[in-house]
Amino acid sequence: MDLNRLETARLFHRFGFGPRPGEFSGAISAGVSVTREKLFRNPGTDRGLLNVSEPTITDLGQRPSPSDPSLATFTSELRRQNIDLTIWWLDRMVLADFSLQEKATWFWHGHWATSIKKLNYALPMYKQHQTLQKYALGNFDEMVSAMLDDGALQFWLDGQENTAKSPNENLARELMELFTLGVGRYSETDVKELSRALTGIQVARSNGNIAFRKNRFDNGTKSILGSTQNFDRKSAGKFLVSQPNSKRFITERVWYRYMSSQYALPAGNKLESAFESREIKELFLALASSDAMRDSKYELVKSPVEWFVAVCRALNITPSKLNKDSALLNFLNKLAQVPFDPPSVGGWPTDDAWLSSASAQFRASFATWLVAKGDISPIESSAPGERVQKTADLLGVVEWSARTKSALEGNIKSSQRLILLAICSPEYLVSA
Amino acid sequence: MDTVTRRKFLQLTAGTSIGTAAAFLSLEEIAAAASARPLASGTPILVIVTLYGGNDGLNTVIPFKDPIYYSSRPDISYKQESILQLDSQFGLNPAMNGIANLWKGGKVAIVRGAGYPSPDRSHFSSMAKWQTGSPITNSKSGWIGRWIDSQPDDPMLAISLGSVLPPLLAGEKKVGSALPLGGLVIPQGTIGADFRKLSLPSTSDSKLRSLAANSMKDLFNISETITPILQRPEPKEIELPTINGGNAGGDSNLSQQLNIVSKLIQADAPTRVWSVSLGGFDTHANEANAQSVLLGSVSSAIDKFLTDLKTSKHGSDVVVLVYSEFGRRVVGNASMGTDHGTSGPMFIIGDKVKGGFYGDQPSLSKLVDGDLSVTTDFRDVYATLLEDVLKSPADKYLNNWKGRTKFFKAR
Repeated sequence: MDLNRLETARLFHRFGFGPRPGEFSGAISAGVSVTREKLFRNPGTDRGLLNVSEPTITDLGQRPSPSDPSLATFTSELRRQNIDLTIWWLDRMVLADFSLQEKATWFWHGHWATSIKKLNYALPMYKQHQTLQKYALGNFDEMVSAMLDDGALQFWLDGQENTAKSPNENLARELMELFTLGVGRYSETDVKELSRALTGIQVARSNGNIAFRKNRFDNGTKSILGSTQNFDRKSAGKFLVSQPNSKRFITERVWYRYMSSQYALPAGNKLESAFESREIKELFLALASSDAMRDSKYELVKSPVEWFVAVCRALNITPSKLNKDSALLNFLNKLAQVPFDPPSVGGWPTDDAWLSSASAQFRASFATWLVAKGDISPIESSAPGERVQKTADLLGVVEWSARTKSALEGNIKSSQRLILLAICSPEYLVSA
Repeated sequence: MDTVTRRKFLQLTAGTSIGTAAAFLSLEEIAAAASARPLASGTPILVIVTLYGGNDGLNTVIPFKDPIYYSSRPDISYKQESILQLDSQFGLNPAMNGIANLWKGGKVAIVRGAGYPSPDRSHFSSMAKWQTGSPITNSKSGWIGRWIDSQPDDPMLAISLGSVLPPLLAGEKKVGSALPLGGLVIPQGTIGADFRKLSLPSTSDSKLRSLAANSMKDLFNISETITPILQRPEPKEIELPTINGGNAGGDSNLSQQLNIVSKLIQADAPTRVWSVSLGGFDTHANEANAQSVLLGSVSSAIDKFLTDLKTSKHGSDVVVLVYSEFGRRVVGNASMGTDHGTSGPMFIIGDKVKGGFYGDQPSLSKLVDGDLSVTTDFRDVYATLLEDVLKSPADKYLNNWKGRTKFFKAR
């Protein structure tokens, strides 16, 4: 395996959403370090995103009663906003120049996994998305602080039900287990004490605004992980992030989603120390520069959204132009991954979970539908004899197996079919 | 429901089926029915129903004679007269008529206080412990997955409904298959032949690339046998109301899943294990209505499933297992709900089952850290199912676990 191609492909597919036409071969000529430097460079204004217009997401207020004639307008507007929000994000993923940022936001969405299914309203989800965008490559301490003020997260994990009189542990438990420390790194007493510190929040569901109510807050001292003080959500959040286990846990999660969910983060790695200051971009950069990038055992399956966005980038497809009849969301739904709708607070599964026979079937149909709408000119304009290799370069595939090569070579006269098979191949589906 | 849910999307787009979107991937050419190797009558079949979110066991099998039950959760306890009485002390949630009737017929075993040592109150690690069957040491394979590893290659052996495979069916070397709700479409003609080529093994394949190729191979195998059966008309799925406990995984249409399983069993599908699920049991708030709607759905879906199968030659071969990752806290919270707890009841249902209670009821006066104690290890139940239903040596798949629960009739 050509390790420069491997590392370049990983930079594109894991730290971003895949190469656009010409980018991969350009990067191979430029070399790995230039490619990495370019990937991590913040362009200031993302010119690609200038083509994405913000969705119109408004506060729809309380749901009208069943007898109220305005109910029909309300439900159709609710549906429109939810769909627009989802498609808008897909557009961003496809059209952004600064792909590192979009991919990191996607990672954090899976980390704080909040679902629109419980919120119902688009506005709180839109606001949460803005928070995740803002801190995606920023400081983790600031992110945790902002997320504890996020109405969507609070509502999702019953924060509004958590009062001094009777705490609701949902948010406290997930905050330690899934968001900051990792399972087994706290006791049941810590969960109970932390939930007391998080009391006092009320959420307006339709807009995600939160209010702190002093009379709902538990104003006593709490003992969390051995420290006793009158914690509130701000100080408790900061305290959790300051724990060495938060450094370890976030490093593990980034490793799990960006490098390997099959192999644990190796002992003695230098990644944790790169996250000492809790600067997220530093951690990503350390991982993107690590030796692991050239170790072929760390393969990863592209999740359905990652696969779809990568295909769109390679074939110049804009998601919002596809969604005339909701077919796009239908496909993503069948593949069990729709942005803003993770299956649970643990986020989406990885690797083999996406490799069921059912997914294979839906992916084949989805790919067929997509390719017909894509720009295949980069392949069409090349000589038939070069098309198999050109397709690998277009898509950012390290190398074809003998099996896939043989299937592709039978289709060099039809660029469309060639690309269809290529994007369904194991070599594309799995990021080598 | 006022949100665009997964099912809403499907309804919205009912006119845009995959078949019409991609002409040559249509359903029009259907492979022959499942007749090549029908499952022999008398071969036991295990149907696993996973309730995601942590079902509140105390409001499922209710100790209505215990005053502590009422004093612990005044807002969300059930009055004795509304409960479906099973014996002088216990009754089922009022919504569980179907299972109450099966109980009267002597077909329901209820294992009380089921769990594992040092309960973990996290949805994800607790569900992982239940699904791997390995609560002490971390395991990457599921308890059924390890059994699949030991069987001859067969994509039909163990099938999960839905498009994502639960860890339960993942072995070290092999995995079960997933079957989506709705028809399957297979690529036809020359493009179909090319897809088939992509599913061939390649010596340069890594582990995941080889799994990716394999998933396509299974797609062809499974589609050819199952597609025709799924085309039979299905009842409209039951719409569950918006509930407040839906963030811990699981599917939402149990009756539809079981309906498909029932048709496939009747068609002699050579499948030994089926996995279905229902989510929404994470009732931190406003529990009473949400949980009873869900339990009602579980109860009626299982009752209908077994009734449908009664006339089939496999009717007596089916054993249904129902479990959830944990029970809930004894004392209710201020949101008319309950927080994550520990043990809960397991249900084993079928003609072969010797109905009754198994395992001791955890005492409400002797709580461990505010929670119910664990009186039966779930591995006792798994071991019994592996031996009596899957006819396999349980020790091998459960790390030499020795406990058993005798809830099957003597043969």
